[in-house]
Amino acid sequence: MAKISQISGKRNGYFGALALVSILLGLYWGLVQAPPDAYQGEVQRIMYLHIPSILTAYLSFFLVFVGSCLYLWKREKRDDILAYSAAEIGVLFTALTIIEGSIWGKPTWGVWWTWDARLTLTAILLLIFAGYLMLRSLTEEENRGASSAAVLGIIGFLDIPLIHMSVYWWRTLHQPPSILRPDKAPWENIAWPLLTPLLLNLAAFLLLYFYLLSLRFRLGEVNEEIKALKLSRDF
Amino acid sequence: MEFLSQAVLLFKKDLLLELRRRESLLTMFFFGTLLLFVFHFSFDLAPDRIAEMAPALLWLAFLFTGTLGLAQLFEGERANHCLEALLLSPMDRGAFFVAKTCFNLVLMVLVEIVIIPLFWILFNLPNWELVPDLFLVTLLGTVGFCVLGTLFAAVTLKARARELLLPLILFPLMVPVILATIRCMEAILRNGELGDALPWLRLLVGFDVIFLTVGVLIFDWVIEF
Amino acid sequence: MGAWYFVFLAYGIVWSAILIYWLTLKRRLARAETELAELCASSEPQANAKT
Repeated sequence: MAKISQISGKRNGYFGALALVSILLGLYWGLVQAPPDAYQGEVQRIMYLHIPSILTAYLSFFLVFVGSCLYLWKREKRDDILAYSAAEIGVLFTALTIIEGSIWGKPTWGVWWTWDARLTLTAILLLIFAGYLMLRSLTEEENRGASSAAVLGIIGFLDIPLIHMSVYWWRTLHQPPSILRPDKAPWENIAWPLLTPLLLNLAAFLLLYFYLLSLRFRLGEVNEEIKALKLSRDF
Repeated sequence: MEFLSQAVLLFKKDLLLELRRRESLLTMFFFGTLLLFVFHFSFDLAPDRIAEMAPALLWLAFLFTGTLGLAQLFEGERANHCLEALLLSPMDRGAFFVAKTCFNLVLMVLVEIVIIPLFWILFNLPNWELVPDLFLVTLLGTVGFCVLGTLFAAVTLKARARELLLPLILFPLMVPVILATIRCMEAILRNGELGDALPWLRLLVGFDVIFLTVGVLIFDWVIEF
Repeated sequence: MGAWYFVFLAYGIVWSAILIYWLTLKRRLARAETELAELCASSEPQANAKT
């Protein structure tokens, strides 16, 4: 059984190298090659991190949802490991998205934090993810933890569109007109020379995400094998 | 229908137990009233600002009081292996969910019927004729709270730090309900009717319907020994 | 230069965090795999002894 891990380990290494290459390409293109934005200046380059981060975070949440549904339906440990892994990495990318958004906001709006729709939504997403991880670690029995977390994963995902709608309505209905386009998604205004680094960085982030996910997934599988071995030995 | 009769049976049991001992109800009443006093000391409220802040303050009070009620929701089933007995019986677990949610809803509605007028009196608010409309909106919001609250009270039943974990999980998910209910209440207080806030009401109703359905379907996997 | 400060701050935080996470993940995985190998090795003589 340990041999299977070794084989996929090598394949993983190549994949990781590919991710690294695309990250470096994306960094070069985003920081050096691409011109600064006409309106936002150099600070716009943070968007090459921010948009891929948030998309990856949403992807993660979707995987938590899929893993949770499959686990509750079929009760196969692999689906639970998928959900747990996606949640852990999802927390990382969501937290990074908030930090990036905050840093972008300081020179753009003058404040480190504002309750605009995007930042608020991402903060709520982080809270739900964090709740998922806490629920798992605080539930005593392993299988109970898995199915409890799966319920949260499903409900949380179904709630996201409703949270999205309510936060956007709240912010657009009450936003005074003096604040300049705080709710327009940045990708709605993107010009062609800026699209290439964005797509490059997006590809890099996706490759990185799946690389990290496969590592974390393998960790989950190995832990499961350890548990199974320990259980069988006790008999 | 079998499902409904099971739910009604369980609901009646909980209601009867509660009416006899009144533990949850009294603690929730007391806590809600206490919160109103705390608000009075915490916020220096000019009379005109109170009307603006009333929905938010009321909902804060209901959220915290409701969390208290949720913590005690499954207490009856803990002793004497009641929960195991219920789960071993050929009962539809969705019915169990509906019964518990309705029971929690009744508790919260009883508390709200007292707290809203009390708030009006304590803070000397004028427009009494709007209170029934406000109460209806609060009712819809409370349904949303009870549905998700019951679900996650069952989920966290066997977790450590249960009383802390439940609000931590529940409150982010409740954001649409909180926003929608308070906006509707604000609109009613400002204009006497919903008007522009109608989309919020639709969102609220949608939330209730979606999660009541999902809750009934998913409760099988939630409640375990 | 003010704008570049924010850009480098953001990029620095993000890539450091990802690097740290990747390293901790590798370490956790290595530890788990050694534990698994030890368990496999020690359970084989047991299995042989039983048969």
